[in-house]
Amino acid sequence: MNDKILLSVNGLSKHFGGLAAVQNVSFSIRQGEIVSLIGPNGAGKTTVFNLLSGVFSPSAGTINLDGEDITGKRPFEVCQKGVGRTFQIMQPFPQMTVLENIITSSLFGRVPKISLSQAEEEAVELCKLVGLGDKQNTFPRNLTTPGQKRIEIARALAVKPKLLLLDEVMSGLTPTETIEAIKLVRSLRDKGTTVFLIEHVMKVVMGISDRVIVVHHGEKIAEGTCAEVANDPRVIKAYLGEHAEDTEESMC
Amino acid sequence: MVDWASLLQSLANGILIAGLYAAVTLGLTLVLGVMGIVNFAHGELIMLGAYSSFWLFTLLGIDPLLSLALSGVLLFFIGTGIYRFTIRPIMKDPPLNQLLLTLGLSIFFQNLAMILWKTDSRTIITSYSGMSLDLGIIHFGLTRMITFLISVVLTVLLVVFLSKTKPGRAMQAVSENNTASWLIGINVEKTYLLAFGVAAALAGAAGALVSTVMYTFPMVGFKLSLKAFCILVIGGLGNIPGTLFGSLILGITESFVGTYIPEGSGWAEGISFVLLIVILIIKPTGLAGTRRE
Amino acid sequence: MNRLISGKSFIVLIVLAVVLIFFYPRVMDSYFLHLTIAIFLAMILASSWDILARTGQVSVGQAGLFGIGAYASALLYQWIHLPPVLGILAGGILAVILAVGIGYLTLRLRGIYFSITTIAFAEALAVIWLMIPDITGGAMGVSTPPLFGGNRILAYYLILAILALVIMTVWLIEKSRLNFAFTAIRQNEDVANVMGINPTRYKVLAFMISAFFTGLAGGFYSHYNTYIIPYEVFGLNVSIACLVMPIFGGLYTILGPVIGTILVKVIEEFLRVTVPYGHQIAYGLILVVVVLFMPDGLIGLWKKRIKPLFLKKSSVG
Repeated sequence: MNDKILLSVNGLSKHFGGLAAVQNVSFSIRQGEIVSLIGPNGAGKTTVFNLLSGVFSPSAGTINLDGEDITGKRPFEVCQKGVGRTFQIMQPFPQMTVLENIITSSLFGRVPKISLSQAEEEAVELCKLVGLGDKQNTFPRNLTTPGQKRIEIARALAVKPKLLLLDEVMSGLTPTETIEAIKLVRSLRDKGTTVFLIEHVMKVVMGISDRVIVVHHGEKIAEGTCAEVANDPRVIKAYLGEHAEDTEESMC
Repeated sequence: MVDWASLLQSLANGILIAGLYAAVTLGLTLVLGVMGIVNFAHGELIMLGAYSSFWLFTLLGIDPLLSLALSGVLLFFIGTGIYRFTIRPIMKDPPLNQLLLTLGLSIFFQNLAMILWKTDSRTIITSYSGMSLDLGIIHFGLTRMITFLISVVLTVLLVVFLSKTKPGRAMQAVSENNTASWLIGINVEKTYLLAFGVAAALAGAAGALVSTVMYTFPMVGFKLSLKAFCILVIGGLGNIPGTLFGSLILGITESFVGTYIPEGSGWAEGISFVLLIVILIIKPTGLAGTRRE
Repeated sequence: MNRLISGKSFIVLIVLAVVLIFFYPRVMDSYFLHLTIAIFLAMILASSWDILARTGQVSVGQAGLFGIGAYASALLYQWIHLPPVLGILAGGILAVILAVGIGYLTLRLRGIYFSITTIAFAEALAVIWLMIPDITGGAMGVSTPPLFGGNRILAYYLILAILALVIMTVWLIEKSRLNFAFTAIRQNEDVANVMGINPTRYKVLAFMISAFFTGLAGGFYSHYNTYIIPYEVFGLNVSIACLVMPIFGGLYTILGPVIGTILVKVIEEFLRVTVPYGHQIAYGLILVVVVLFMPDGLIGLWKKRIKPLFLKKSSVG
């Protein structure tokens, strides 16, 4: 891990009508880090992801990826600059096989000039990497939820992202699957991908993150290592005060 | 110098035709609001109502403004039949399928009418056809005036039905949230059936009105349905006040174009398309947004 | 990816090409040749509609493009005596220009709104055409001299060439990355966007390709028919025909529009000799039946119901 900053977010805000979903959020992520974004339900985490991936354009603030200003760029442009993401509510292309889903991302991601056969080879490799090697020609509707999550991850990886945004990929996994997923994320980081995760499963967050960012009511309320964040009184209040049920896992 | 007489006359004509347009659009609005479907065949229900009225007049001598109720009832049954056999199976299908099915119905009925009744335009001439009412400097065609008043009555009847009767309130509930309605015991399926039937009845009545002020021919429904889509887009989808608002906008605009632009009556035909295109381009979900999305 | 085309299919194609080019026009009498030309024309419309539909843009207004193609060709002949073959090409190009305009304007429209807007465009064009008769000939229409002096065999070769061009285009699309882009946009445009696919570029591109061939078809029609009027070439009939055939045959396939067209046209021809008008009633029935009973069209029906019967037999015997 080096000190080069990959993602720099400054004063990011998003208003819908009168409601501020995200308010004045600033943070940076360094190349090769694994950072988690946590917060109670409705805190604005997915909105942040939507802003980072270009799905929403910010009401205010800037987003800088690898030295380039990507504020307000459209999703496909952001993708081609190196951002890959999964969706919390899984959305594989329904009438395409698993393999075809991944080939699509390979063809149009950050390195779009590859040939069809090359894209297919890469897609096959990715299938195996996420454990879908034997399900290449299956349709997403015939897969279980964890299976569909794997499609999401493989698809996000296929765009060859510099920054990988994972939206709650760990929820609903068995302990074995969780360990595998953590191993996968770590191996991705080792290969050079920076990972930014939204997670509710605290064990995963604590086990995997270099740093944690906490948002609540659309604002960043804490940032630091997991120990720092766990002992931050504002964070404790946010979780205990409003959403006691989110702390079923003890924090650190 | 403003020619007030001309302006007021144009405005009056616009309002009168808006009444007809509202009657034409109400059924479409009801189905869209309650069932979430854009019924491409709505125009053909109107067309069938117009022919029903025409034949009742030509063969049995019944005045169209009286046989209106008969046409409405006839179309109610046709509508429920159509729902039961073709619409109900696809209620859960993707919107594309629903579009194609109702489009298919539309083509079917248009051509059926051509086969049965040929493509000639029919008119209804009653004893009072040419008469007009004069209110000060404005002339109102008598037939148009009665048509307008009946449209108002139809609208009021619909509103009363929706707010004061049990099935009507069920429709309102379903239009807001059909899962919640089902949970509180409303028979959603029956509500859909009834809504479609009522909408068809409204179309039938509107068709009877159409037969008195316009020509009756197989494509008359298609032409009117395009105007109805325009009105939906202006006024908001599945929304009665919006339908009235949209009808007024379209009716008055057409009338002004007809009066003030050279050869305006020809160009007025295109107003609904221009409005529709312009509005959808500026706001892709229509002016007032959607009630169902 | 192995060979571009399987051995069996290649042989079939060669045989088909030989038959269509050398034997067919000599064997068929004038009426059947005329019918074949009409079928080929319809196939071009069906295939080009399908290209656009692959991006999820369901057009019910192809008549606008067809009519522009027809009138461009006819009027250019009338004004500057542009030779018909060039006129037909001009028809295709002008239709593309129109499609670029409509395509950009309708980018944000989804589903039904897009479809309704395409109808509005076609109808609006018809109204404009009637209101400026000095330029367009108005309701009286425009005449052109017969194509190739009335030589039906040459007309046949021309339409066959255009059809071959369309089919080849669809085939190339299916073999390329375009297929993935179009399909992704169709199945979920927003997600496709996040996966790096520029929806604008591909949606407009599909529109342009579709429009080119639809316009060519219009241009051909105007010279072959020698007379066009707005109600006919801008009419809903044309738009409906464009979509019924591929839907019947099977969407998003090469053979679907081809098979669908042949069957629909044959049915229509039967009806045409039975009733003076209203033969498009078959179109309406077909749409209803397809949506209710066979949403994947004839090809889907074949794959799901009939082909498995053959496979079963071979595993038993």
